[in-house]
Amino acid sequence: MKLAVFVSDYRLNVDTLDRLNPSKLGIILVQNGVYHATVKENGASSSLLGKNADYYVLKDDLETRGLGSSDIISNIKIINYGDIVDLIFKEYEKTAWL
Amino acid sequence: MGKFTMGCFSSLVGSMSLDFAVKLSAAAIEKGHKVDFWVSGNGTMLSIKGQRAFKDYSALMKPVQELMGKGLTVTACEACAEARGYNKEVTMEGFKRHSMDWYLASAFDADRVLHIGGE
Repeated sequence: MKLAVFVSDYRLNVDTLDRLNPSKLGIILVQNGVYHATVKENGASSSLLGKNADYYVLKDDLETRGLGSSDIISNIKIINYGDIVDLIFKEYEKTAWL
Repeated sequence: MGKFTMGCFSSLVGSMSLDFAVKLSAAAIEKGHKVDFWVSGNGTMLSIKGQRAFKDYSALMKPVQELMGKGLTVTACEACAEARGYNKEVTMEGFKRHSMDWYLASAFDADRVLHIGGE
């Protein structure tokens, strides 16, 4: 199964993601979840970014928080709402919201 | 083009999730998809007419009305709305009200589903 997971918060139990085992995993960072793409704690990036997944972050939610492409700390693709629609319909079969 | 069913259980004022859901609905409609949008729990606040837009709050009534004009089907959980005193008389024109069976039927029939839980 090709699964797109929306991560909408910075503080979350990533164990939920550990229990998922799709053939293809996409992680879409939205709302306060965008901080996973920008914040380092004690010099380390978010553990969320260590998974075998394709990562995306919503541009609108970055900009709302005064962030941009220069703040991204890993190989994460910046996308807009239209891109999310295409991911949902063309790249992934199921979605989940965390 | 496909059918996209989305459910949102989050509240209206200050809700990032409901704001996200409306913007994603707009993007999906723009790309030619059919969108069924279900609001439940405190998300039923979206169905009330006469919402006043403040500068620093999420104001979604006008965008939703515009999207309904472009084909968006938006439905509120009737029981959730009634429990909050949002009766039929205060529901904006075009906003449907049904039991959760409507959401389940729409999701079952959809090509893609996104379920956004409550806050």
